[in-house]
Amino acid sequence: MSDKAAEVQVPFQLQCSVNGELKTIAAPPSTRLLTILRDEMELTGTKRSCEIGRCGACMVLIDGRAVNSCLTMAYQCAGKQITTIEGLSANGLDPIQQAFLEEGGFQCGYCTPGMIVSVKSLLDDKPNPNVDEVAEALSGNICRCTGYGGIWRAVQRAIEGRRYWK
Amino acid sequence: MLLNRTSSGGRWRIRPDGPAKVTGELTYLTDMTKEDMLYGLVLRSEHPHARIISVQTDKAKQLQGVHAVLTYMDVPGLNAFGIAHPDQPVLCEDRARYVGDAIATVAAETLAIAQQALEQIEVEYEILPPVDDPELAILDDAPLLHPQGNTLHRTAFNRGDAEEGFKLCTHIIEETYYTPRQMHTYMETEGGLFVPGDDGRLTVYSPTQHGFMDRLQLSRILAIPQSDIRIVSSPIGGSFGGKDELNVQPYGALLAVNTGRPIKMHNSRWESVRAGLKRHPMKITMKTGTDADGKLLAHQVYIISDTGPYSTLGAEVLNFATEHVIGPYRYEHLDVKGVSVFTNNGMSGEFRGFGGNQAIFALEGQMDRLAERLGLEPWAFRKLNMRQLDDLGPFDQPIAMTEGADQVWDAVSTSPLWLEREKIPLEGQSAAEPWIKTGIGAAFTMHGAGLGVGIPDPAGGRLELAVDGKIEAVFGYEEFGQGLIAALEQMLIEQFDFAQEDIRIIIGDTDVVPDSGSTTASRATAMMWKSLQRLHTPFTEQLLERAGAIVGRPAEQLRLSEGGVRKKVGDELLITYGELAKAEGEPIRCETSFVFPTSPTDRVGAHFMYTYSAVAVKVELNTLTGRVKVLQQYHAVAAGPVINPQGFLGQIEGGSSMALGFALMEDAVMEKGHYMTRNLDTYLVPTIADQRGKIEVQPIEHLPENDEHGPRGIGEVGSVTLAPAIAAAIHQASGKWVTKLPIDPSYLQETPFFLSKAVNGE
Ligand code: FES
Ligand code: FES
Repeated sequence: MSDKAAEVQVPFQLQCSVNGELKTIAAPPSTRLLTILRDEMELTGTKRSCEIGRCGACMVLIDGRAVNSCLTMAYQCAGKQITTIEGLSANGLDPIQQAFLEEGGFQCGYCTPGMIVSVKSLLDDKPNPNVDEVAEALSGNICRCTGYGGIWRAVQRAIEGRRYWK
Repeated sequence: MLLNRTSSGGRWRIRPDGPAKVTGELTYLTDMTKEDMLYGLVLRSEHPHARIISVQTDKAKQLQGVHAVLTYMDVPGLNAFGIAHPDQPVLCEDRARYVGDAIATVAAETLAIAQQALEQIEVEYEILPPVDDPELAILDDAPLLHPQGNTLHRTAFNRGDAEEGFKLCTHIIEETYYTPRQMHTYMETEGGLFVPGDDGRLTVYSPTQHGFMDRLQLSRILAIPQSDIRIVSSPIGGSFGGKDELNVQPYGALLAVNTGRPIKMHNSRWESVRAGLKRHPMKITMKTGTDADGKLLAHQVYIISDTGPYSTLGAEVLNFATEHVIGPYRYEHLDVKGVSVFTNNGMSGEFRGFGGNQAIFALEGQMDRLAERLGLEPWAFRKLNMRQLDDLGPFDQPIAMTEGADQVWDAVSTSPLWLEREKIPLEGQSAAEPWIKTGIGAAFTMHGAGLGVGIPDPAGGRLELAVDGKIEAVFGYEEFGQGLIAALEQMLIEQFDFAQEDIRIIIGDTDVVPDSGSTTASRATAMMWKSLQRLHTPFTEQLLERAGAIVGRPAEQLRLSEGGVRKKVGDELLITYGELAKAEGEPIRCETSFVFPTSPTDRVGAHFMYTYSAVAVKVELNTLTGRVKVLQQYHAVAAGPVINPQGFLGQIEGGSSMALGFALMEDAVMEKGHYMTRNLDTYLVPTIADQRGKIEVQPIEHLPENDEHGPRGIGEVGSVTLAPAIAAAIHQASGKWVTKLPIDPSYLQETPFFLSKAVNGE
């Protein structure tokens, strides 16, 4: 009993990097990363929509891989590199963001940060994905507005753009 | 020419709201917070139908951190809301009529405490049997949900004598069609921030499609003057009609006024599902007959619409469906009836297409069946019966004449996709994989824009030169993703020759914008266009005269241009807009207000302006699984000039994706008044994997020479024509007629030939 009580008294401190900055955040270990980002850090580019991992609005990069922040708990982030949509454009627009702008890969924009994060994760991993790979990588990101036409075009343009910029 | 980036050239522009959207910088109203704010939550009924015997809030009130627990007794004004007819209780008094009905609302320092407080509220119910079948609900012995009965609204339209007409028919098709309870599924759920000011005013930051309507409704509920309420309503993370009616606003507003603290509300997805609007499920029975040559003689329709517990716009949706089950065809005899019925199911209400989706699915289904019966090609059959240029509208009302029907019919008939149809063998068989079948189908629509006769439909806006030299365009419309700001900016640039940097667009704030009417019914772009047409001369004159006086030249020699005023000939900039703003004189400002053009008829709900569309679609059916893939779509849309090419394409693509969901996968199933779905794991909408097919969009811009109405609406038309085209394509592939949406794969499954062989022991 006394051991347990002592344990509880040491509050969990999450140490991780968010958009390149080291952070120490006091939060219960089971706090969802989505809550930490939006409510504690005011990084509201990461969106809340279904909270069960089905829509991708809350997507962030953890060590470069796209992850639903609504399903990720604070303790799982310890020591990790977290990148949110805000971090992608820290040094000017990412070519993927530019491609979404030019092709009209968004309308209301609510799915867009998550969508762009998923594209980033895909293209960093596979610079020349085929159609199946794109569909697979983005099928966890729901967009209700565009019907995905503009998103297909934006991804295509991003692939070409990255080739060109490299 | 097909619409795309290349064909649009320089008119394809980056949306002004784009950079903030792709970087995540844009603050949505549900992203807002404020120091000292409290979290608001709503307690909703556990039962679809119950008498409320008592509500005990003492325990909840005593919780530390709880600042308010409100019930109906705390509503100072009208305890009801509803755009057309306020009959939905803000907080229920003695009866709950659906699982989203609100009973109490709480404000607390954290979300967790607010949640705990909800759990501490004790509600004693007497459970009543739910009235969940609209057909039973209108019988005489059904329990009454409202004192006036369970019928919200009835419609009827007659021409000639349908019974006599059927006697003359050689071919008659009778069929009943069913459509689903589709959910808007906007990605941003309802919510916002409600801030009481030191001056006693309340500011509401919450998405809506008509800020002034929210202001009116909230003032009735709070019993305070409208001038004490400010509604800030854009940007919006999707709406599609679903946020036009009030949702969380009454609760946020009551709690803010009661506690004197800012209140944040943001629905969970389940809260959004249970409380929010859906598309009206309809059962549409049709009997349609032709003579021996295929000429339509008689058409009889009965629509029964499940409107749920309260009115909102259920009557208006039924009016729309009634008009659109008649559609763009000529009939000698018509007998159309509809009824919108109260039930204890979920709330039905406004949703992109507004009753057209259901109506057109049924009507086009009849056309395909009749064509087959007659042995005619389905498109030729439509031509035979299609409305002619000068024909009256579906309700025999005068309409703004265009050649749209012919134009879109022609476009599909010559499209490569439609021409491919003949090449598909009758059953769409593929030799290598005989269980895969393909088919091509098409459908045809005239879709009304504006609210129609009988509903106030104001429009207008303002242009002014602001003190900092920006040209301000001020409109009471909302941006929910459709690209309204982009369309307005593009019109200002193209019609006035301003530069992008010269312009500031102000929308969505009742303190500063004029009431331009609602951003619904595919009307906003057309109304902005018309406003600018009306403002163009006076505003230009004011600017040029002021400029002329300063630079000492007659206004006639000057022109507006990027950055300021120039000589008509030559490029020299004479005076910038900034300098012009600093000069002495009356403020330069022009305002216009008018009403959306309506038909000179008494027929409530009849439209004056229509968009025409025709869609051809190719599907692939896997008869082993019963699954349908949409391979290719071709949309011809006759809507006048394309204002913003990217926005136009996006509206048609996005609308058709919703139609794909409506046809193939979406239904918020209810059982005994309870939702069987709570979230996006059981309510499936199209993903990118469902949208791998090619979509071509062909805008037809030509309007009759004397047309003064300009662009027609395109916000909804993309969402109404695809479902019947898919059904027709499935018929070509499988020989089966679809009557119920979303299409049940098990209906399309076939026992594979090798299995049937095995069974037969061959
Ligand atoms: S909010 Fe995380 S996946 Fe939907
Ligand atoms: S742009 Fe609105 S959900 Fe994707």
